[in-house]
Amino acid sequence: MLRYSITLFCLILLTVILQQFVPAFIALYNARVFLLLAVFLCIAVTVPLPVMFLYALICGFLWDTQCAISTSNLDASVYVDSIQNIRFGSSILLFGLAGALMNGFQPIFRQGKWYLSALLTGISTFLYCLAEYSLLDFLRGSFTINRGVMLQISYTSLFSLLVAPLVFALLFFIARISHYQIVVTQKRSFRRFT
Amino acid sequence: MKPLNLIALLCFLGGATWALTRSDRSVRSIQNAYYSAISPFLKSGSAIEEKARNFSNEVTHSRSLEAALEVTKAELDKLKLIEQRFDTLEAENARLRSALKFTKNTNFTLIAANITRRQTTNWYKTVEINRGEESFIGIQNPVVTAEGLVGKIDLIAQDFATVILLTDKSCQVSAKVEGSADLGIISGRPAEYGKDPMLILSYLPKNTNLKKGQRVFSDGRGGITPANILIGTIESVESGAMYSEALVHPAVNFNDLATVFVIPREN
Repeated sequence: MLRYSITLFCLILLTVILQQFVPAFIALYNARVFLLLAVFLCIAVTVPLPVMFLYALICGFLWDTQCAISTSNLDASVYVDSIQNIRFGSSILLFGLAGALMNGFQPIFRQGKWYLSALLTGISTFLYCLAEYSLLDFLRGSFTINRGVMLQISYTSLFSLLVAPLVFALLFFIARISHYQIVVTQKRSFRRFT
Repeated sequence: MKPLNLIALLCFLGGATWALTRSDRSVRSIQNAYYSAISPFLKSGSAIEEKARNFSNEVTHSRSLEAALEVTKAELDKLKLIEQRFDTLEAENARLRSALKFTKNTNFTLIAANITRRQTTNWYKTVEINRGEESFIGIQNPVVTAEGLVGKIDLIAQDFATVILLTDKSCQVSAKVEGSADLGIISGRPAEYGKDPMLILSYLPKNTNLKKGQRVFSDGRGGITPANILIGTIESVESGAMYSEALVHPAVNFNDLATVFVIPREN
């Protein structure tokens, strides 16, 4: 378990760096492969709840560190109204909620139905992006979810859905080399075939 | 709920609360430490990316580059002749200025930068440039192109910086309209589906008589953005209960940014 958790921590750090090189697809309404969230969501379904919370804390913190923009020390003569942006640390809560949703479906994943978890990764990404956008939009005093935003969120979710099987394959590999069992049916099916 | 899960949840909420209560200054120092730590990876990654892009461009465009080179050579010869004429005119202009004791009203030092990444976050309109503290630029420095104002530096690292574009609501600039005494504040407006990003010129007087096509410039209030940088042209004007607002079409094509110029603070 410890070896698996440490490897996952390294995987998260690697993903954070990789995320920097993943561009937004301008032609697809600025949708992007939200690699960090996809990897976190896949991890969330394979680990116990306390470990999931730890990773949510790390991922949310790192994501906010990458994305936060300044809202203070601005010129008062120009900035008549205060500018509201998503507060640093909000992503931790969003990662925690999305992770808790994934973790709640862990019994299904442990039965070997990883494809349902992959589908749930797409749904969780959609909910995460929608919550993040709604929060920002609400803080800025409007509520304008238009077709472009919905398509951006939908494409981002679709990319997560497509990436999830690859991440699960990687997690199965890491689990195998770490001698950690993430799917209960692995042993049974192994016994059946030998 | 199991006791261990409850403890984990409480620790998680404690951590989130700690992060949520960080001041902007602490967030900045966290971001600086973070970008310093990952800077070597970013640098080597960018170098590989650039090499791959150059190689790909070289392979696919070698013939067209040869043709372009021929055209450029001809253009260069022409420009050399123009430059000679320009030098004469500049010298003459300087001589006349000194004779009239005329002071230049704009004198910028510009630092050229390339856009290395676009839309670095999910929702904020930002781009990343390949110039940082090493190039003597700082936070809130304005960023321009030949067409007009692009935005301001938001986050700065040793050798790169993040620019928040004028189309984001977080980037606000004091503005004036040509042929009018009206002043207002320019900020971004959420882009509508399939349409160009637009800007809003707010806090205009209620009975303003601005017209479509009038140009909007920065007015230099606050001292961050120099005056007289083109921002855009007015598309329409709407009167409100207390103030009027104008919809402004930006002068810069934000979808086609490649090279920008930063105006450092010493200006």
